Amino acid sequence: MFEEQEDAVKTEGLVNYRFYLRQRPVMLGVFTALAVIFFLFTSGLARLYRAQRESLGTRWFSRGVAELNAKNYSGAVNDFRAALLYSRDNYTYQLNLAEALLGLKRTGQASAYLLNLWDREPEDGLVNLELARIASGQGQVQQAIRFYHDAIYAAWASDEEWKRRDARLELIELLLGAKQQEQAEAELIALSANVGDDPQQQEQIGTLFLRAQDYEHALRAFRITLKSERRNPAALAGAGEAAFELGRYSLAEHYLQSAVAANPNDQQSADRLKTTELVLQMDPFRRQITTAERNRIVVQAFQLAGQRLSNCALPKSVTPGPASTQPSLSDQWTSLKPQVTEANLRRDPDLVESTMDLVLQIERQTSVVCGTPSGTDLALLLIAKLHEGNQ
Amino acid sequence: MDPQAKSDTVVIPESSRIPHASVWMREHSPLDLWRAMFREDRFFLVLSVFIGVFSGLAVVCFRFAIDWSRLYLLGTGVELTRARLLLAPTLAGLVIAVLVIRFFPATRGSGVNQTKAALYIYNGHIPFRTAIGKFITAALAIGSGHSLGPEDPSLQIGAALASVIGRKMRLSRDRMRLIAPVGAAAGLAAAFNAPISAVLFVIEEVIGRWTAGILGSVVLSAVSSVVVMRWFLGSESLFRIPAVELRRPSELIAYAALGVVGGLASVTFSSGIATLRPRCKALPRWTQYFQPAIAGLLIGIIAALGAPQVMGAGYEYIDQAMHGQFTWEFLAILAGLKILATLLSFVSGTPGGMFAPTLFIGAMLGAAVGGAEHYFLPHLTISPGTYALVGMGVLFAGFLRAPMTSVFMVLEVSGNYSIIVPVIIANTFAYVISRGLQPIAIFDMLTRQDGLELPSMEEQREEGILHVEDAMQRVRGPVLDAERTLDEALREADHTELRHLLVRMSPSGWSTVSKDELFSMSAKGKGGATLGSLLDEEQVPYLHPDHPLETALRYVDRWPIIPVVSRANFQQLEGVISERDVLERYREFGEG
Repeated sequence: MFEEQEDAVKTEGLVNYRFYLRQRPVMLGVFTALAVIFFLFTSGLARLYRAQRESLGTRWFSRGVAELNAKNYSGAVNDFRAALLYSRDNYTYQLNLAEALLGLKRTGQASAYLLNLWDREPEDGLVNLELARIASGQGQVQQAIRFYHDAIYAAWASDEEWKRRDARLELIELLLGAKQQEQAEAELIALSANVGDDPQQQEQIGTLFLRAQDYEHALRAFRITLKSERRNPAALAGAGEAAFELGRYSLAEHYLQSAVAANPNDQQSADRLKTTELVLQMDPFRRQITTAERNRIVVQAFQLAGQRLSNCALPKSVTPGPASTQPSLSDQWTSLKPQVTEANLRRDPDLVESTMDLVLQIERQTSVVCGTPSGTDLALLLIAKLHEGNQ
Repeated sequence: MDPQAKSDTVVIPESSRIPHASVWMREHSPLDLWRAMFREDRFFLVLSVFIGVFSGLAVVCFRFAIDWSRLYLLGTGVELTRARLLLAPTLAGLVIAVLVIRFFPATRGSGVNQTKAALYIYNGHIPFRTAIGKFITAALAIGSGHSLGPEDPSLQIGAALASVIGRKMRLSRDRMRLIAPVGAAAGLAAAFNAPISAVLFVIEEVIGRWTAGILGSVVLSAVSSVVVMRWFLGSESLFRIPAVELRRPSELIAYAALGVVGGLASVTFSSGIATLRPRCKALPRWTQYFQPAIAGLLIGIIAALGAPQVMGAGYEYIDQAMHGQFTWEFLAILAGLKILATLLSFVSGTPGGMFAPTLFIGAMLGAAVGGAEHYFLPHLTISPGTYALVGMGVLFAGFLRAPMTSVFMVLEVSGNYSIIVPVIIANTFAYVISRGLQPIAIFDMLTRQDGLELPSMEEQREEGILHVEDAMQRVRGPVLDAERTLDEALREADHTELRHLLVRMSPSGWSTVSKDELFSMSAKGKGGATLGSLLDEEQVPYLHPDHPLETALRYVDRWPIIPVVSRANFQQLEGVISERDVLERYREFGEG
């Protein structure tokens, strides 16, 4: 009995032994072959799968681009989202989706996509530019400036250099809006150096220089434009304005006359031209005028100042000097009035100086109290400013 | 040098030293080498790699199948037509019901419990047709928009493939039992692209214990399946992870709030399943043909009404939530609707997994809580994306009740260890709340509803373990010294009523002697001999207070008392333990 059991155990052991030694390696070989076949089969499926997804992604992306070009932002968003289903990390798809979302004013969502793209490629100019625009729109000036700078110094394709200039122009607009004149001027100077002699861009830069109150650079930019476009009305008006603000009234007159001639509808230049002509006519200190003419101008200016004084009620305390013991401007004008005649001025040249001194003081003070004057008073005020350095 | 330390020094006997490979080769025949290679424990490791490869390939094909189902059933765009939204899940539900009831009855549900059943009831046996059925029905269900995920089915497919391989290799019963979890880990790792989480989940929820024998195989299969999956599908994670940064410790309070919300949501979700699933199962059999279709129709209606995000696994929407694409109000609505949609799909018996919906709900809830906190407390700097990431872990801990996996899953998916503290805090809150309000974990509840009694991993984890120190008694009688004479020992023993006494041997070790033996030896005239010379050479084994009590069971029937000694000094007696002490302690423990 026990021997039989022992034999059975031995037989079973032998079977297992044989199985381990023979069948297991064989089965392992079979499984290896099956794994290879399964692998090849899956490879085929994977190729098919990838090709299909790529095709679907491309198809939806093309539809999205068409929608975006047609400014159908809602459709474009759906199409780009569909494209991203098949290529989740596709940079171009995400960028276009962000642009479509911006078109729909969904800046929060667009911003999320753009920031993700920025994480991947912080030097992408377009992403930085869009992020700067979003930050600018949200009033985050410092962040916007940072993104604009990154956009300006980003890597742009050679045929996209204009986008770099656009980024700088937008930055300048932002800086001017935020009253950061110095930074704006610095950016404008850099921009001006980059654009060369392109008349249209120089005209745009000149206008921005005007807004930044850098009239010298503005005049230079407009002159570059006028070199190649002599009749450009905007450049002429800009140059006229710059010369006017610089106190170069003869030059301003020249440009403004040309500007009005080139564009008769330019009322601003026409007004400025009138003022310029008045300044030139009413300035008694200008050269190449006779003594009689000068005296006549002084008498006229004195009378205008008196009228201005009577129209603008200055407080009693307003005096020309620091000491309150000094007589008021009105008292001074009244006491000087009998003396200011062409005959007296001819006899006493020093009276010309003191009369004009009082006239210019009256114009300055009344402009402080009653606001910027117009017409002849404005001309006198500008003459006062022009000769401030000589006082 | 301390003599004690010297005596503890381990000396490896000559026969036990590992020979150099060349020596081994010289001394053994090629047959020995062949035999050694195919020894079952080593062979099992080789098989684990094969299981990983097959599971990885199967999961890749499964992913393709799901995507193709979606493309052909729901369409290729994001704007789906109402007709498709309503018809695709409904008609697919009908087909699935027929397939499940007529051909693949074992594919119902998620697959985790079926794998556990294979381990504990069926000796690792899972029919191959289960893998086929799960592949087809789950791909159809998820692709048509049922609110289910691919992870649990992948786990079951992996386990079924492993089972087939094990059977063909005629593995022993012990190995066959372990092969299903090995395949499960491989399937889950490939589906989730996260091998560590897969290994942890299988250890935590399927096997329930850490053993070196199985750990190596599970890790090997998981890693090889992930390698295969990445070969075909790339290494990118299921969703793009936003930058995670914890700037102020006070922000942890916000995460604690997320944990509370997640815990409550988990309870709502599991209570829904606990209530609805038995009722659906109790309905007449013919209704089971229509249950998946009705669930599909209701999900289609939810989608048509403006929330198509609830359909399918929804990973793309988790990605969008993480990147701030939805308002917090909409995210909260989506979380609620997804719970409803998943309840409908799951209780109707549609095959598919719970992992992806759990992650979806967690991400939406997390992003909603983050968005709301950001709205009401704008000074908080954390992005909703970070909350979404933590939220996924929260639901995993609260609903699936896999706390360790939940933490490591978030770490593995995010690749960012700075998130560990928020995750632990939020998960702990969710787990504690869920455990307090819903004592039975979801997987245990499902097995009980199916009429099975599988071991509860949660209960096992929390089961108290008795140690020797819980049962040992203090030494009441004298401890005899082996160097003393028999007469001296008798005089000492005379003062005690104990029948058995411990003897401290020299230079180390312990023995026991009964009073009767002492008297008998004395009667034979051996009173002048030392006690050590009169006792058997075999010494009594000793125990330490921290040994599990079951260790004591191995010895207490052979010796009347066992010494319990300090680990620092084996001659220092901490107490004694007897068979009666052990049994008494177990009896008390059993009575609670």
